[in-house]
Amino acid sequence: MINTTLFTNLLALAPDTHAAASHAPAVTEVGTGPKWILLIIGLPMLTTLLCGLYAMLGNKTKLPAWTTVAGAGIAFIATLAMYMSFDGTPYTVHAFDWIQIHFGDKSMIANFSFYIDTLTIYWMLFVTGLATLIALYASEYMSHDVGTSYCRFFGAFGLFVFSMACLVMGDNLLMLYLGWEGVGLCSYLLIGYFYKKPEAVAAAKKAFIVNRIGDLGLALGVYLTFVHFGTLEYAALFNDPALLGYIDSAKTGGFSAIPTIAQWIPLLFMIGAFGKSAQFPLYVWLPDAMEGPTPVSALIHAATMVTAGVYLIARMYPLFLVSEHALPIVAWVGTITALLSATIAMAQFDIKRIMAYSTVSQLGYMFAGLGLLTTTGAAFHVLTHAFFKALLFLACGAVMHGFAGQLDLRKLSGVAWMKGWGIVGVTMLVGCMNLAGLPYITSGFYSKDMILAEAFITPGYAMIGWILVFTAILTAYYTFRVYFRVFVGPEHAEPGDEHHDDDHGHEGHDHGFHPHPPGWAINIVLITLACASMLAISLAYIDKAEHHGWAGSMMAQSTASFHSPYAEAAHHAHIEHTEMHAVDGPVGHAAPGTVFGMDAHTGMIIVSGLGAIFGVLVAAFFHGPKGWQGLFLGGRTEAAKCRMDAVAKRMGPIPKMAENKWYVDEIYHTILVTPLRIISHIFHWIDKLLVDGIVNIIGLLPRVLAWILKPSQSGVLQGYAVSMAGGMVLLLLVVFVLILQGGAS
Amino acid sequence: MPVRVSVWDELSGPEGCLFASWLHTKPDLYPRNNAVDTIISPIALYLICVLGALGVAAALPRRNKALEITGGLIFAAAIGLGVLVLGLNATESGQPLPNYFFYPFAILALGASARMITHPRPVYSALYFILTIIASCGLYLLLSAEFMAFALVIIYAGAILITYLFVIMLATQAPSSGSEQFIDETDSIAREPIISCVIGFALLAILTTAMFRGIGDLPAPSNPELAQDSVLLNLPTKVERILDRAGHLEVGERLLRNDDGTAAIDLVNRTITIENTDLHTTRTLNSDQWPEKLFAGNLDRLGYNLMHDHPMTIEIAGIILLMAMLGAVVLARKHIELEEDLKAAQARKLGDSMNQPLEAGNA
Amino acid sequence: MDHLLQSTQLAQLAFPEAVPAVTMAHYLFVSAAMFTMGLIGFLTRRNMIIMFLCTELMFQGAGLALIAFGRHHLAADGQTFVIFVLCVAAAEAAMALALVVLLFRHKETLSAQAWKELNG
Repeated sequence: MINTTLFTNLLALAPDTHAAASHAPAVTEVGTGPKWILLIIGLPMLTTLLCGLYAMLGNKTKLPAWTTVAGAGIAFIATLAMYMSFDGTPYTVHAFDWIQIHFGDKSMIANFSFYIDTLTIYWMLFVTGLATLIALYASEYMSHDVGTSYCRFFGAFGLFVFSMACLVMGDNLLMLYLGWEGVGLCSYLLIGYFYKKPEAVAAAKKAFIVNRIGDLGLALGVYLTFVHFGTLEYAALFNDPALLGYIDSAKTGGFSAIPTIAQWIPLLFMIGAFGKSAQFPLYVWLPDAMEGPTPVSALIHAATMVTAGVYLIARMYPLFLVSEHALPIVAWVGTITALLSATIAMAQFDIKRIMAYSTVSQLGYMFAGLGLLTTTGAAFHVLTHAFFKALLFLACGAVMHGFAGQLDLRKLSGVAWMKGWGIVGVTMLVGCMNLAGLPYITSGFYSKDMILAEAFITPGYAMIGWILVFTAILTAYYTFRVYFRVFVGPEHAEPGDEHHDDDHGHEGHDHGFHPHPPGWAINIVLITLACASMLAISLAYIDKAEHHGWAGSMMAQSTASFHSPYAEAAHHAHIEHTEMHAVDGPVGHAAPGTVFGMDAHTGMIIVSGLGAIFGVLVAAFFHGPKGWQGLFLGGRTEAAKCRMDAVAKRMGPIPKMAENKWYVDEIYHTILVTPLRIISHIFHWIDKLLVDGIVNIIGLLPRVLAWILKPSQSGVLQGYAVSMAGGMVLLLLVVFVLILQGGAS
Repeated sequence: MPVRVSVWDELSGPEGCLFASWLHTKPDLYPRNNAVDTIISPIALYLICVLGALGVAAALPRRNKALEITGGLIFAAAIGLGVLVLGLNATESGQPLPNYFFYPFAILALGASARMITHPRPVYSALYFILTIIASCGLYLLLSAEFMAFALVIIYAGAILITYLFVIMLATQAPSSGSEQFIDETDSIAREPIISCVIGFALLAILTTAMFRGIGDLPAPSNPELAQDSVLLNLPTKVERILDRAGHLEVGERLLRNDDGTAAIDLVNRTITIENTDLHTTRTLNSDQWPEKLFAGNLDRLGYNLMHDHPMTIEIAGIILLMAMLGAVVLARKHIELEEDLKAAQARKLGDSMNQPLEAGNA
Repeated sequence: MDHLLQSTQLAQLAFPEAVPAVTMAHYLFVSAAMFTMGLIGFLTRRNMIIMFLCTELMFQGAGLALIAFGRHHLAADGQTFVIFVLCVAAAEAAMALALVVLLFRHKETLSAQAWKELNG
């Protein structure tokens, strides 16, 4: 245990976390908060409106970027203030009345108000922080496009932060849904930023549509929540006596007492989370989303939007606890996703794609953590992942920016040694180490370890644990594959497709390609993020005894808190060095597991640490350059070829299939898209023939009637005379026969 | 004495109603005249109508001449049937002569009108129409309307039909060159014969069914002498003149007029009162001094009715005739320029038709 | 002559007596039949002059009916109206024939089928 006095000051400022450490969610009473909290939500919206104004005025400077940085920065400071001033009791801040429908004795109330508890604060800290940093990064990254497009980018950026704030800080499910849809919209807008590129447009559509499937699940979950519990607001929901009763039954495994509707609500929420956070089978949009600019990838698809799913489950954790199958499904889906995307990442050559699959994989870890009853582990991993993944993306972005869009690791080598690229190289190394989870020296290790250990503590999930360990080894391998191929070794760079002559002041003649090292904004952001990744280690040690770290203490006071009885038992046994005995818990009456005879935490430290190092060494062997840069294991002498190529050839079709993402996209296309297209063609023809046909027939009726009646207008006098005489005779017949009945009056 | 009842009154009642007798019975509200009810059975009537329709439809001008002749025969059969059925009833009466006069005239009228509408040549149509008029004349005579009979012949046959003949001659249509007929297609083929015959004879059937519901007999007046000669009361001048011609009036004598201006004649006892204007005395002629010629004929009655009851209508009739005359003058003044070649073509067609050998004709 | 007068007188003298066999129905039947003939002729023949001739035939039928009804009601009104019918028939004949001649001059044909420009 490392006690750092450096952070005790921070601790003194932290809210009182020992107050309500109970087994039940700590929502007892809700007060009202100060109105300056609304700055956090209002400022990003203001920046969006200002960017719109700049676009209308035809601004061609970087003013939109500075506006957004300022807005996000002030929002971050406000968040910090919110954190400092939090005294332990959650409160709501009311902006205005929104939906108030009263019918009979029931009512649906969804106001535009915000619910602040520790989970909210935890999430908003890194959201606003990262937003500020990435806006700063983007100010330089997008500087090629100053003008209307620049304003458009930062407008959407601000709208995104606003939506994320609504999502995280909203005090009712409808606000959450509003934010959910808002971030989906902004994701679409930003992925399709380069709207003239067909791939970008297709990727934006794919992201939106796949998200839509998840959104349906979320919407149904919200409906069912209202139907079953009668309210949408968190304060009322989490104090609902019915819900509390369900939780009590669930804690001992008595799920038969809980009605099916209540068990279905979390399953529907889960679908929503899978869509937004790119889990199997709804993950296919995330790799394609790399068509968007890199800051977008970093902010939205690494750090903030994709964590919305995790946030949803964390916030609704009491609801998830009452369902027998929800959390196990979450755990298994997360695991499968982690393994699947790791295997795909191993065979990709586009470094941004590799990072995208790695995001999917790490999200799988977070979901697995939630499913394994450790919200602390999941939340801490969210935080550390946000830092190092954003860092990794931004570094890849710097490479892309500097090498005119080149991202293929077979065409780049030794970037870290090029002039002006040193900072990028160092920060990239920090990020890669965090992602691989090298023991003790990276924050990524601590967060991943929490999840891995919990897999073995909670009985019945040992398989998940081993799969996740294997995936960790793969993660270490592919992460350092990137590093050893691109950043070290002999210097080699081929430009990409976005070669701009005008940027480098070369006109008229091309005499070779010069890489464009990043400017001060990019470097500052990379350094900040690298430091944050390292400093996050300390967060693991704050409150370690009580709550497994600062994250744990934040989670403990929110609705996401859950103290697994298995973890308690394991902890007890570890501290007191006694045998572990079975306890009652959500997974039944069982004893927590062990790893190779040791208690889970210690065992996992050893296993995952060794695994990560092993992965790094394997990567060095296959992909590392000759000499010390490849840890004296590698043999690569040029950018394009390495030892892995021979091995891959011997593995037959498997590397090719992995490179093609196991053909999941193609399977979806065949199973879903093609039948839909056929059905739509059928309906098109039905519409054309049947519906239009009926309408046309009705339109034809007057013409047919006229065609029938036209011959009577022959123009011949006697024809008319015949008609008149005939009509008169008919009339007489009618009068005589029918009315007078032949004379009988 | 037969009761004079109106046609529609007779329509009610169970026996008179052709259809109602099949459907339901009604109370006998009006006295029935059994003789009239059985004047013709409905089946016979409708059979006559159907046969007549078939006959006329076949007889109308068409390409197939044999069918025309057949149609004519069928029509004749229809008329014969009608005469037979109606004539069988005539044996009951004790006054055969008027019956016998009716039938020839009726047959002639119907036959001539049928031939008129089926003859292809317009001149013959007009001539058959004149024959129809003459037959109508006969029927008028039987109905005690002698003046109308004469008027019909003079005005209708003598003036109107002659005008028609003139115009037919003027506007002869020569057949189109190249056709075998020497009558233009306009005249030689009828249009839509079947539907027209159906309509026409359906109308006839309806009208006759209404009629044979017990139409009253031609009634007799209660006081015949009074009814016939009663108009003489209003014609004192005429009476005076006849008396004068018969020599019953002395000098200074004239017919006595009553206070209201009517002649002092007693039609029932057949006495005439004459007054002497100089001596202011009256004397009465008795019945054997009744002049032979003192009777009111149809002309007197008609004239009186015309002048006394419908004076305005006479004026209006005059105005109608004036309008017609003016209209004819205005229309005839229109001068139409025909193209020269059209005139030449018409002349050529006429010449061709004249030069072609004429067939026996469709007289 | 006397015989003729006598037969006419006989018709007159038969006036006071009812004529049971030949009822008004007979005359009306003939009248209706003549009217029907005229109607059929009007509808079937194409020659315009023949068409008008058939309308005259219809007038004839109407006239016979008027006279018969006048006899039925023992009044002279029927015959008076036949006078007026005659007047109107004459006027109509004059106008009709003038128009027919004009039409004939326009189209060189007497066919009523030639005048069908107001068709639909």
